[in-house]
Amino acid sequence: MDVLDGLYNGFQTALTLHNVYLCFVGCLWGTVVGVLPGIGPLAGITLLIPATFGIDATGAIIMLAGIYYGSMYGGSTTSILMNIPGESASVVTCIDGYQMTLKGRGGAALFISAWGSWVGGTLSVVGLMFLTPVLANFAMKFGPPEMFAVLLIAFVLLGSLGRGSFFKTVPMVFLGLLIGTIGMDPLTAALRFTHGVKELFDGIGFVPVAMGALGIAEILSSTEESLRRLIHKVRLRELLPTREELRASWGPVFRGSGLGFLIGLLPGSAHVLSSFVSYTVEKRLSKRPEEFGTGRIEGVAGPETANNAASGSAMIPFLGLGIPTGPAPAVMMIALLIHGVRPGPLFISEQPQLFWGLVASMYIGHLILIILNLPLVGIFVNLLRVPFRILFPVILLICIVGTYSVNSSTFELLILLAFGVLGYVFRKLDYDVAPLVLAMIIGPTMEIAFRQSLMRSGGSFSIFWKSPIALVLILLSFFLIFWNGYRSLRPTKATWEQALEEDK
Amino acid sequence: MTKEREASLIFFVAGIYGFIFSVGLPLGKWNEPGPGVFPLALSILLCLSGILWFIQGKKRGEGKMDWRGLARKRVTPFQIVGLTAVFVLSLDRLGYLLASSLYMFVLLAWISRYRVWAALGMAVVLGGGTWFFFQKVLAVQLPRGFLPF
Repeated sequence: MDVLDGLYNGFQTALTLHNVYLCFVGCLWGTVVGVLPGIGPLAGITLLIPATFGIDATGAIIMLAGIYYGSMYGGSTTSILMNIPGESASVVTCIDGYQMTLKGRGGAALFISAWGSWVGGTLSVVGLMFLTPVLANFAMKFGPPEMFAVLLIAFVLLGSLGRGSFFKTVPMVFLGLLIGTIGMDPLTAALRFTHGVKELFDGIGFVPVAMGALGIAEILSSTEESLRRLIHKVRLRELLPTREELRASWGPVFRGSGLGFLIGLLPGSAHVLSSFVSYTVEKRLSKRPEEFGTGRIEGVAGPETANNAASGSAMIPFLGLGIPTGPAPAVMMIALLIHGVRPGPLFISEQPQLFWGLVASMYIGHLILIILNLPLVGIFVNLLRVPFRILFPVILLICIVGTYSVNSSTFELLILLAFGVLGYVFRKLDYDVAPLVLAMIIGPTMEIAFRQSLMRSGGSFSIFWKSPIALVLILLSFFLIFWNGYRSLRPTKATWEQALEEDK
Repeated sequence: MTKEREASLIFFVAGIYGFIFSVGLPLGKWNEPGPGVFPLALSILLCLSGILWFIQGKKRGEGKMDWRGLARKRVTPFQIVGLTAVFVLSLDRLGYLLASSLYMFVLLAWISRYRVWAALGMAVVLGGGTWFFFQKVLAVQLPRGFLPF
């Protein structure tokens, strides 16, 4: 089945009344969770997992993906109008977006942000449509050594591109991998770190860990901050940008699409990283970089486009390799597994209706989102008028009941709470928890690949360099480790200046 | 103690825990690695990371975490965690409807400082509303406790 045939069949699946409705619900809920600080795409997706139990896998993934990319649109609204990022990827948008609002150009910033999001999102779906089948076919050649090498480089990239330093991310990855070993060993059925607790035999559930370490920790941190908010009103006629603003945003939008797409393929908080990289690139390319931070449209257009493009391309390794690159795709993977569908190299050939239905629904979803986010922006902003002192108990309660509903287990709620505290403590200590969560979910696959490789080679490590793919990836991993080591040991300008000061 | 040193202690303790409980697991041979190999290697790496960060933390120290100051605030995350723990532990006995309404009431009255009647009204609406949405609309089986529904 070639791409156009697949897409045609995909539209036939996605354009049924039922699937359009599910796509709309996903996009609407995604916008709401993007607008509300404290609930990210992860919590938004987890909360609606129980709602997918009664529907087929295609409908389920269409709705959950809608939440994921929908939250990227919603996140910019609060950043621009209130200087509060609704979603972590929109932190950069606050810098120039809010300044534009203060200058009375908030409406134009919202328009350009929505338009850029649509362009970035749609172009990334085009990439997803062409690249995923190619990647899946390539991955068919993968044996355990190649899979181990892919996961090794994924972890090294996770450390290199994470928000913290490489050596700050590495222990978090080790901790996540160790937590991932809890439960029954998949090859020998030996119990590890279970201490006779039956609930741990199947391992620690991913949903309570992710919801706790990322969702609950976020709520606990939010309760410490000021709850007062100033909301700027935007009228419909103020949404239209000037000709200069439109002209200035073309370049950032297309550059943001390319950058976001490439960064989205990498593991980690790709949508967050892509917006930061795009902002930096736009500032460097600008003829007036000193004006960035004072309300430049390029500072809104680039990052908002990039984070949407990244959310689309993040689906490529998840669907084509079965390797989720971020917490939100990982939760979508859990939802698919609940429905008996396993993403990976065989996914497209075994589930063509599901894959192409999802691709087609993403085109439809981006159209729904631009309609939701432009004329109806005022309605979503009004959500923020709900006082946070009411909002946080509600978010907390729905996080708890959402986690409970996945396995109907009170034990998982205790795990949720424990990881909430752990996530909060690590946040306070300036550590990013996302690598721990990702390592926990990818770790078991890595362990199995490593052990199977050694079993296949009769205990010889040469199996890792006999395969050219594995050899290249392992060499690249080592190069990145040494490069990061060199970067952290190399004296910076600041340390030279400090040393000079001390000498004086 | 600097933030990095505090974090390094967490890594070190986790590594020691992992080491103690993975040493007893079968390690197997190179041609058939046992279930203990991976956790043991990770535990050692975690311990080493902890030690390295502890040494590095002394030099670099990016500031200290004021845990005492945090505990003195009117609303602290510790209060919310404590209340949530009580809610989770009472969920099976009291049932979702009653436990969630009580949980909401205490959060709204104590942490959010609403008047008792306002907190009570909102707690009933929120507890009942989430119960209806998850139990009736999404067909999730929530704990019943001693209540008949």
